[in-house]
Amino acid sequence: MCVWCERYADGYERWYFNPANYARRLYKIRKEEVEAAGAEANPQAAGGMSLLGRDFLEAKERNDIEAMERMRREAEEISWRTHFGQVITLDDALKIADIMYPIAVMTCACRRSMQGLPDEENFTCMGMGPGMYKWERWPDTYRGGVQFLTPEEAKEVLTKLNKRGLVHCIYTFGTPYIGGLCNCDYPDCGGIRTRIDHGVRVLWKGHQVAQVDPELCNGCAACIHRCQFRALSFAPTRNKAYIDPIQCFGCGLCALECDQEAITLVERSSLPALVEAW
Amino acid sequence: MLPTITIDDEKCKEPLSCRKCLLICPSYVFGLGTNVGPQKFREIALSHFIVRGVRFDKCSGCMECVEICPQNAIQVSF
Ligand code: SF4
Ligand code: SF4
Ligand code: SF4
Ligand code: SF4
Ligand code: SF4
Repeated sequence: MCVWCERYADGYERWYFNPANYARRLYKIRKEEVEAAGAEANPQAAGGMSLLGRDFLEAKERNDIEAMERMRREAEEISWRTHFGQVITLDDALKIADIMYPIAVMTCACRRSMQGLPDEENFTCMGMGPGMYKWERWPDTYRGGVQFLTPEEAKEVLTKLNKRGLVHCIYTFGTPYIGGLCNCDYPDCGGIRTRIDHGVRVLWKGHQVAQVDPELCNGCAACIHRCQFRALSFAPTRNKAYIDPIQCFGCGLCALECDQEAITLVERSSLPALVEAW
Repeated sequence: MLPTITIDDEKCKEPLSCRKCLLICPSYVFGLGTNVGPQKFREIALSHFIVRGVRFDKCSGCMECVEICPQNAIQVSF
């Protein structure tokens, strides 16, 4: 079982359907560790969320497993306490749009760091919950401002971003409080990159896993480009889409692209080898 | 092999208005940050932005960044 559900679902089907996990106390949460973590040494921290610096890459290069493991554990501990994510499907994101208010779109910190995108081209990140009112009240303190959305508008934006190829992830701000409904991709998202490039679980896999039905798949390959997690490829000999179940994050983007309905999402909990593979 | 990448901040004054290296690097090696700490959601004067190598493990040494930088601010060495 997902440890976040174990700790924070409180009877709801998934922890991110529990409205209590959006009710952040504004007078309490401070991310001191992240603020103190030297921007000069790691400018990505200023715009993205990589908690790993060059020392990690050097340890990797000299194959110093012990040092890598230590840094990985430290990064995960900080991240799980303050700011980590989990992949969710479009369906789950649309449900969140109904239980959570307010929701706003705003500038995406990762893409700002990766590409220097100006705010006008960069409103792909969504914020949720009472924290958003601070952004409205003090626009000069919070760069770029926010654009509030009705639940219906939020659903439209989410659907559009999904079409564009972006994966939905929820992010905590002071766990378990969820404040981000992020729309991400490889190579632009710091969270996806930290997980895929280095195996550090600042981003958790989702509650489902995609499977291809070989009877229904006609080998059209329309789904292949949708995967941001390197789980989906094309198997020429079988002439079918191929999904690596271990690598799949359960985002569901591939399934939405398939007009044969050949890809289905099954519960992670129904697959013994994957139950704990977050 | 990891490269050493240096950016001369004296030459690269306003990376947010230029960002040529960020856009040309085939493997997203660079990151844009600030020299006043990771205040990621605050408004910060343009002059506080800096570019640094971040994803050194993805650098091929193609030197496209060095060639495109209008200020000659980037050095990449192995
Ligand atoms: S997690 Fe996704 S949406 Fe959020 S800042 Fe990063 S790339 Fe942007
Ligand atoms: S889009 Fe559907 S039918 Fe086409 S390759 Fe993918 S799974 Fe098969
Ligand atoms: S295989 Fe499909 S569901 Fe799994 S991560 Fe890739 S796109 Fe998402
Ligand atoms: S190309 Fe040169 S001047 Fe332009 S942002 Fe990059 S380092 Fe700065
Ligand atoms: S040398 Fe090439 S790969 Fe390396 S940072 Fe410059 S543009 Fe990127």
